[in-house]
Parts: sequence; structure tokens; C-alpha cells
Amino acid sequence: MQTDFAVIGASTVKVDGIEKVTGAAMYAADVMLPGMLYGKIKRSPHPHAKIVSINAGRALALPGVETVLTPDNVPRVKHKGSPAPRGGGLVADQYIFADKARFVGDGLAAVAALSEEIAEEALALIDIEYELLEAVFDIEEAMRTDAPKIHDTEMNLVGPPFMLQRGDVDQGFAEADFLFEHTYSTGRPSPCYMEPNACVCTFENSGKLTIWSSTQSAFMVRGILSEVLDIPLHKIRVIVEHMGGGFGAKQDLYQHEFVCALLAAKSGRPVKMEYTRKEAFMGGRSRHPVTVNLKQGVRQDGTLTARQVLHTSNTGAYASHGLGITAVGCLDIASLYRCEEHQRIEGRAVYTNNPIAGAFRGFGAVQAFFALDSQMDEIAHALNIDPVELRLKNAAGDGDRSPSGHPILGNGLAACLVRGEKEMNWIEERKKTAAQADSRIRRGWGVGTEMHSSGAYPDIKEVSNAILNMNEDGTVKLFTGVADLGTGSLTVMAQIAAEELGIPFKDIQIVYGDTDAVPFDLGAYASRTTYVGGGAVKKAATNLKSQLLALASGKMEVAVEDLEIRDGIISVKGVPSSRVSVKELIQGEGSVPAHTLIGQATHHSKVAYSFAAHFAEVEVDIETGQIQVKQVVAVHEVGQAVNPIGVEGQIEGGIQQGIGHSLTEDYVIDKQTGQSLNASFVDYKMPLAMDMPKIKSIILEEVPHPTAPFGAKGVGEDPIIAIGPAIANAVFDAIGIRFRELPITPEKVLQALKEKQVNVSS
Amino acid sequence: MTKRICSTTINGQEREFAIEPFHSLLYVLRNEIGLTGTKKGCDVGDCGACTVIMNGKPVNSCLVLGVEGNGAEIVTIEGLANRTEHDISLHPLQENFLKYGAAQCGFCTPGMIMSAMALLDETSEPSDAEIRFAIAGNICRCTGFTKIIEAIKKTDVSDGKHKCQSDHPAFNPES
Repeated sequence: MQTDFAVIGASTVKVDGIEKVTGAAMYAADVMLPGMLYGKIKRSPHPHAKIVSINAGRALALPGVETVLTPDNVPRVKHKGSPAPRGGGLVADQYIFADKARFVGDGLAAVAALSEEIAEEALALIDIEYELLEAVFDIEEAMRTDAPKIHDTEMNLVGPPFMLQRGDVDQGFAEADFLFEHTYSTGRPSPCYMEPNACVCTFENSGKLTIWSSTQSAFMVRGILSEVLDIPLHKIRVIVEHMGGGFGAKQDLYQHEFVCALLAAKSGRPVKMEYTRKEAFMGGRSRHPVTVNLKQGVRQDGTLTARQVLHTSNTGAYASHGLGITAVGCLDIASLYRCEEHQRIEGRAVYTNNPIAGAFRGFGAVQAFFALDSQMDEIAHALNIDPVELRLKNAAGDGDRSPSGHPILGNGLAACLVRGEKEMNWIEERKKTAAQADSRIRRGWGVGTEMHSSGAYPDIKEVSNAILNMNEDGTVKLFTGVADLGTGSLTVMAQIAAEELGIPFKDIQIVYGDTDAVPFDLGAYASRTTYVGGGAVKKAATNLKSQLLALASGKMEVAVEDLEIRDGIISVKGVPSSRVSVKELIQGEGSVPAHTLIGQATHHSKVAYSFAAHFAEVEVDIETGQIQVKQVVAVHEVGQAVNPIGVEGQIEGGIQQGIGHSLTEDYVIDKQTGQSLNASFVDYKMPLAMDMPKIKSIILEEVPHPTAPFGAKGVGEDPIIAIGPAIANAVFDAIGIRFRELPITPEKVLQALKEKQVNVSS
Repeated sequence: MTKRICSTTINGQEREFAIEPFHSLLYVLRNEIGLTGTKKGCDVGDCGACTVIMNGKPVNSCLVLGVEGNGAEIVTIEGLANRTEHDISLHPLQENFLKYGAAQCGFCTPGMIMSAMALLDETSEPSDAEIRFAIAGNICRCTGFTKIIEAIKKTDVSDGKHKCQSDHPAFNPES
């Protein structure tokens, strides 16, 4: 594997950074067009209700209202909402407007008006008659045989249960010295991307639709809009210049993207729609609350003999990624710690009358590994084995079966554990916390682990494309369809192109974010961009490089194999004086560009796995129940960091969101009325500048993957996953109480302390 | 409602415009003046993405009425860098946000930089705690704040040349 890089591995300023720090970067809501109208969605106030009638007469009569959409005048095409076209376990269960409301916030009608204020006013004038239906919010309630059916499915199950069966668990449990069985559950965190969903739509007279949208998957928006609105694919252009975060949720098509296009079509004018923050909660996508019943058999020496899991996820009113996150969670839980012989794992996704749960960074793995890694800690304590030692004993490693079924390459997980243990001085630090005085503030350390695939293969047949076109001065236009949610992926693409071509990074000009200009891509999800998108860029660069070298070979009369390109200079290997610059070569004679060189590639990737171990130190205030994370040592094995400062940024941001879902973040829906109780940044508490601990990020490049560009694997999802169990395990270390439900709020801590009767004395 | 004529100094330039009395300063900046660098993240003062400097103090522009800007001096993210015909010279704070990787999605960045700017105008060498406090009202969901704090801390404004405003006229609603 190559190690002497010119561009890769050096921290690099983002290609779009200057636009972002000067306020020049254009986001969807920054688009202003002449004659533009403002669109708004009328949302259901009821969690489950049949629509008896909708009367838009009063709204249409309001001066300034141009168009009203109701179920009667929009196409009635069933769609999946979540546009992974080639897999992903998606279910077509959505319409633009449904004939019954399935959650508080379900969009039922829409208006376009001259101003936002008029549009708001018009919403109140749309008269809807509802027939109220019984609503269910918990998975137990929803699976009752007499529960109201949210869609027409048995027990409100989204689809057939996911099943994984290996060996005979009963035999495995019989072989165990100890059995551990507990139920773990997680809350409903919201991604809370800073840019509320927004889009602007306009039609040309030829019938061509242009949509600026804040989406992670521009080509999927194009495809689904084409299908549902019956507009030819090539007559839709999706533009995403910059987007203000998505964290998975913006993979889905939201209602406003359909509605905005229809409002523009019917009014003949450009239309803008922006979600309010409350709508971004309510009409957005949360993480799935998941309940995991986990039973494992263990021998005295800490070896696992059998594992049985019942995993149930609450997907809310529509399926979105419910089946996908359930399958991923089940496969993850089967794979991180070796238990090859006997496993029985069942996963269910259940409809309820909550807002929709969808894709959110850590897709299924957050919930699954919280359960698994908490129980590993429980086993370690019960058997009096050091928690790191127990994990090392069982850690999946080289040749073991990964969640996708492919053998794992290398021992990334063990490497992360060993490095982290050394870095934070695990043994000594834990002695200190064990010996702490009987004080109000109790300290503790905990460890959490995870693994994550780069890409969603084989569930999704991964593909990316890239085109490199050399300009007449030897610089290069890179056309890529990958999405940059803020992760820095465009910079990584440019680095990979520059490295492979042997030209300076500054000579790469990146063309992105416009479906009319760039080649097809599936979008940003599953930590796929560096691995899949970068793979395509590298292949396209190899292709362009071979054309350049062939040209140079003819001109220099040297065999292609004897030539190399470094820093924009083509020279004979070992004879640096025999050289021609890329610029001279491409310019041809008399400064007239002689050649158009285009490198292109379609890349179908397989899968690679990244690993992490997080070590967290917490302080628990036993008077207030407040938990503070004091520091985190985060070790990540990524194969090869393309842009290390970007990798660190992913780690630090992931930890921030993970601390959130572990301690404070939970989007609460009232179980009587279905109303959102905390759909604002005042009531929904995220860790901010005052709360964030010291983070030490350690990047390991132990196992560069042969199927990855320069060995580089993904890192986007990983850091949000391991931090949860690390915190819960640290809380146990601090106060000796095991929390099996996230988030661990001060109320829960105080309640548990009261039950345990810990005195604050002396 | 009748529109009101307002005269406001924005990024050093005096501007006059007619605005609806119910529109926020954020709306006016974005929709009337076309300065879309200032972002709308919540529109209710919870997130800080719309922070601008008004008469020397950072404010959530979504909580200030446009008409309150009458007679005021306002600096937005667009007013920090020096532009010449062919070039742009960034403010050291902007340079450091680039260098230390403090901007990911970039949506909170303009507001974050303006809050930090207001801090550095008052304190040229702030402590970590002062930095954290100064940006406590600016939500970032991407970075974990580590690199933002580093970028602010390493910004050297001790020579006094990079103040956002040298003189803050007192706000006078009657003017």
C-alpha cells in the first residue's frame, strides 16, 4: 500500500471554505427569484384522523393567495419517500397528501401566496373536517391485535420481521456458565441540522423544472420527483450549491419538495418554501426509538456462547428507513463481538402515530451498540474481568464475519482498544475513580466501541461516477455527483484527484451540486462518500493520467512505463532532467490547445469497515443528578485519513451529537394528544459550547483497505456510535448504577440514586 | 400597514429603505437588502445563526425589528473582509476559521464569527471560558465546538487594526 503521498494525509483547507466564512455560500433559502411566491403546508393537528372533507374556498378568496393544493388537485402516486432506488428495504406508503392524517404534523394541503404572512393566514382559512381515530404511540400498544391499523398491516408491522439464525441458541445457552438478559432502549433524538429544510422551484416555458433544495441526494430528488409528478427525468434540474447539514435525515424527500414544485407549476411563478424550526422537528425525521432485548450466554473466562436478540424499532407514521435501520442494527449486534456458533436475532419495525423516524447518522448502529456494549460491560463487572480485557477477548477481527457477511480485514477494533487504553492510562485512572472519597461529585471512566461499513453494500448496489476534464493550461475540472453536507467531501475528492494525477491540489477545479452538470451519484449516506465517490474519482484520474502519459510518451519518445508525474511535471523515472510539464504537454504547439483529455469512471464498490473505541470520563453530581462529560479519548481506525483535520472534525462533531442523545436529547411526543412537547432549541437540549468536554482524537491507519481509494475508509457515522455506551458505562463506574435507557437525564439519575439509597453524607 | 422609511449604516454604507414595521432586521437584511450571509436557523432567537453586530453589540437579528435599525450601525458577515476589485483580504478571524477547520456545513458560521468578533472587539486575548461564554448562544451541530474555540483563541487582534468598528454611536430611536 502506498505511503509517500503528495496531497493525501495533509490537513487541507476546504475548497468551499472561503465562501462559508464570508457569508457568500448560497444555501437553498438564499435563492431569490423575481416574482417569487411563498409556499406553506397545512399540517394535521390530530395524530390519527380520517379526512372527511377539505374546503379551500376561504383561503383562495384571501387577497394575495395564488394557489391552493389539496388531495383533490395533486397526483395520487404512492412513493417511498426515502429514495434509495436499489435496495435499502424501503416501502411505498406515502402520498403527496394522504387521505388520513397519521401524525400531528402530517401535511394535508398547501398554499402559495405573495408573502409568508399571507400564506400563514391562508392556512388557517383551509377548512378540514376530520373523523378522529384512536392513536397509538408505543410499540407495545401498536402491536396489540386490537390496535388501530395505521397502514393496512398486521400488528402495525412495517414488513416481515428480520431474522438471523445460526446454530442453536438453546444449546449455546446450555453451554454457558452465566446468562445475561436485559432490555435496553433509546430515545428519539432529532438531527437538528442548522439549516431548516428549504427549496425553491421554478419552471421554464419549455416545462423544465429547476429546484434548489437542501438535500443529501440530488439525483434521488430528481428521480422521485420525475416518478411522482410525471415530469421527464431530463426536464428536472436539482441544484444544491451548499447545504447546512443533514446528518442522514435529508436523504428523504420531504413533503415540501413535491408541494413546492406543484405550487410553481400551478401558479406559473417561482415558489420558495422554508420549514420553520418546529416543522423541521415535526415534519422532519428523527432517530428511531429502539427497544433491544438482549440475552447472551458467557463462560467463566468471558467467552460468549450464544446470543439472542429481539430488536423493535418505532418508525412513526411512515416506514422511511424503518426496515433498514432494523436490519442494520440486528446485523451489527451479531458481529461486533464474536459469537459465531449460536445466534438468533429478530428485528421488527413498527408503525405508530409519531412523527416519522428516518435515517440519522449512525443508522441503527447507535441503538444496537448501546445495548451490546452496555451488556459487555455488565458481563465484565459480573465476572470481575477488566472491561477492556473482556472486549479484547471477544472483539471481532481479521477473518471474522462482518455485518455484510464479508470477512473483516485486520484487527482495527483491537487496535483502537489497545491504543485508547494506553493513551488514557486506563488501569491507573480507574483505580483513582474506584478509590474516590464519598463526595458529592463522583467520577467514572467508561469505554464504548463500534464498527461501521463504508457504504451500504450489499443492501444497496453502490455506485459513483466521476469525470475529469483537463483545461488547456493543465488544470483539471473534476465533475462529481457526491454531496457535501459540510463534511468536507468535495475537498477529499479534489485531494484524491490531485494525488492520483500528480498535479497540485490548487489545480483542481471542482464542479458539483447540479444534476445537469455532474454525473449520477446516489448521494451522501452510510459513510460512503470517501470510499465510493472517492473510488470513482481515483479511477477517473487513473484514466486521465494514462491518456496524459500516452501523449507524453509519444512526444518524449519514452515508454509509458518509464514515465511519472509529480507536482505537474512529467519526467522519466530516475532522470528528472528529461521532463515536460503537464501544461506544456496539453497546450500543444503555439499555445493552441491541441488535446481534449477526459478521464471518466463508473465505480461499483464493495464494502470496508472502520472501527472506533471511545473512552469517556464523567462526573455525576449525586445531589442534582447532573452528568458532565469531562473528557473523551476517541480512537478511530480509518485505513487512511485523506484530510486529517476533516476526520477530526467528524469525530468531534459526532461526539457532540452522541453526548446529546446519551444525556439530554429526546424529542418528546405527548402520548395522549400526539403533540410535540419540545420542538424548539430552547426545550430540546443539545450540548453547546459551554458543555463540550476536551476531546482527544486519535486517528489510526492500521488497516488501509485494498478496495478503498488510497486505503481510505469512511468516518462519518462512526463517532456518534461508540460515545453512548462509553458514557453509560462511565456512569456505572461513577455511581454503580446501570442505566439501560437513553437519555440518562438528571431525573432518572436522582430516581435511581433514591432507589439505591446512596447518601450524600460527609 | 404603512411601510416606514429607515436609514441604517450597514457595513459602513448608509442605506435607506422602506420596510414593513413588523419585519425583523433579519428579514430586512436578507430579503430587502440581499445580504443573505446572515442565516435564519430558527427565527425565534434560539440558535444565533442570525447574529449581527448592532451598535457594537452582538444581537439576534431575528429578534430586532427592522425599524429599530433606523439610525443604527450594523455589521454583518459580509462586512468583515476587505474587498478590492480583484482580491479579497479576509479578517484574521475568517482566516482562522478556514485554517483550523472551524466551518463544516457553514450555516452557523456567519453568526458564530460575528459573536466571536464582538468578543474580540472587547477582549483581544480571551480565555477559553470567555470564548465559550461569548458563543454560548450560537448553536453549531457539526463541529463539537473544539475547532471553533481554537480558531477564536488563536486569532491575534492585539494590534487593534482588526476591530469591527472603531467607534460605536449610541443608538437613538428618534434619529
